[in-house]
Amino acid sequence: MPGAGDQRLRPARRPWTLLLYLMLVLVALPFLLPMVWMLLSSLKTSAAIFGSPFQLSSADLRLQNFADLFSKYPFARQYFNSLYILLITVPVTLLFSALAGYGFARLRFPGRDLIFLLTLAAMMIPSELTAIPQFLIFKTLGLTNTHVPIIVLQVFSATGALAVFLMRQHFITLPKELDEAGRVDGLGYWGVFWHLLLPLSRPALATVAIFALLNSWNDYFNPLIYLNDERLMTLPLALQRFTDPLGGVYWNLTLAAGVLVALPVLAAFLLAQKQFIESLAASGTKG
Amino acid sequence: MQRRQEALAGFAFVLPYALGMLLFIILPLLTVLGISLTSWSLLDTPKFVGGANYLKLLSDRDFLGSLAVTGLFTLGILILNITVALALANLMNLRLRGISAFRTLIFSPVVMPVVAWALVWKFLLQPQGPVNTSLQGLGMTDANLLLAPGTALGTVIVIEVIKSVGLNAVIFLSALQGVPGEILEAARLDGATRWQVYRRVILPLISPTFFLVFVITLIGALKVFTPIWVLTGGGPSNATTTLLVYMYKQGFGFFDFGYASVIAAVLFVLILATTVLQWNLRRRLVFYEE
Repeated sequence: MPGAGDQRLRPARRPWTLLLYLMLVLVALPFLLPMVWMLLSSLKTSAAIFGSPFQLSSADLRLQNFADLFSKYPFARQYFNSLYILLITVPVTLLFSALAGYGFARLRFPGRDLIFLLTLAAMMIPSELTAIPQFLIFKTLGLTNTHVPIIVLQVFSATGALAVFLMRQHFITLPKELDEAGRVDGLGYWGVFWHLLLPLSRPALATVAIFALLNSWNDYFNPLIYLNDERLMTLPLALQRFTDPLGGVYWNLTLAAGVLVALPVLAAFLLAQKQFIESLAASGTKG
Repeated sequence: MQRRQEALAGFAFVLPYALGMLLFIILPLLTVLGISLTSWSLLDTPKFVGGANYLKLLSDRDFLGSLAVTGLFTLGILILNITVALALANLMNLRLRGISAFRTLIFSPVVMPVVAWALVWKFLLQPQGPVNTSLQGLGMTDANLLLAPGTALGTVIVIEVIKSVGLNAVIFLSALQGVPGEILEAARLDGATRWQVYRRVILPLISPTFFLVFVITLIGALKVFTPIWVLTGGGPSNATTTLLVYMYKQGFGFFDFGYASVIAAVLFVLILATTVLQWNLRRRLVFYEE
């Protein structure tokens, strides 16, 4: 869009342009530097790590930290935990939110508005506020120190509610004539939903999938409450486990683990920037 | 018949999500208010004490302290995030070759996993880490940003803003790009300077976005837990203990469920009030062109 709120630059002003570029670089530093620092430090020994990050003598650089993560700690196991939880929470969130979104947007039934209002409440309440009763429920069920509460709460709390809300808003924008045409062709409610509307919903589903994925990958509070066993922990907790018995942090290992946690997400972001920004803007402005 | 069928189908579609939501979110929300009227720790049975927990709040210095910290934290985030976001949006809107790389860079901390982000900063901010030693080199001999009570909260605010400001910047950017060109052209023809155009035309036109950003940043600030917990654990000497951190400490550090539930109830009321206020103000305050 050729927006006009921009400050147009006349190409003639070369020195100004150069100065602007310099300013942009300086402004970007606090955003970029921590990530670069983490990456470079992950390659160093615990001694060399405290020097300048850009002193990269070949003697310092090695992949030993990454090897140690997997040989001396249950990091592979923890990575697997985060991954499989994500592979459950994201598809389930997509399915439940598409179903409920369609129900709220298209079908009339008693209590619909009340249930939708409660969904909005679930969307706005930080999950932390309901943590104590939830903990008591899962404790009664004997499910603490398992992944069940992590998955269940991810699917139904703020993330899931937001997904329902966004899917409803999306279905409302689709023309009702579609449903009627489908009905004439003999499709039931399910047929209309599954064969007609869902195929038109890929962008909305992508939006939901991205923030559901990020929220699951980053979930910290619930694992902190429910998981004690090191082998059950997910990555955000695992990052804080590289310590000596007195609590001193092995920074080289911590930062190497941080790289492995951040890299897939940042790579996905670079590949699908537009979708990520749309998804996060939607989840930020609606949540 | 037709209506009944539709109602049944509606229930069926909504059921999988609604059932879980009612059971695991709404029921706990109501229960939390109930528990807040009891004296209950992990080992006891709950005992009804009425408003005693609420009275205890009023004389609990740590609670009042955490209320003040929450206020300062929220205020700091609001001011810093919104001003920096608007400035960044204007930079992002420059017509320069390669400006999209700048946008990508500013946004990337938003997708960075929050614990990894907090831990890098914790590393950089160790007593003898690069940030503090640089400051010491500049003459602030006892600089220890994260571990000194005077600077810890501000430091946490800055770290959180760098992490999340990209989102607000992108929202402002799309508002700036939505300002119609003819209006700006008209203002310039009337002899307005570039600053006047910005101040008197562009800013009023993006006021709905200002309001939106203000509200989401405010509510978002009340919900921040993870970066604070990872960076400082609420310390030093409670300087970064917000309501949420205090609730966590009471509930899952001391297992005082009754008292923690009161804090949760207070926070719930705060967030509810903000949300309701938002809905009312949104209609009145903001200039909508649509």
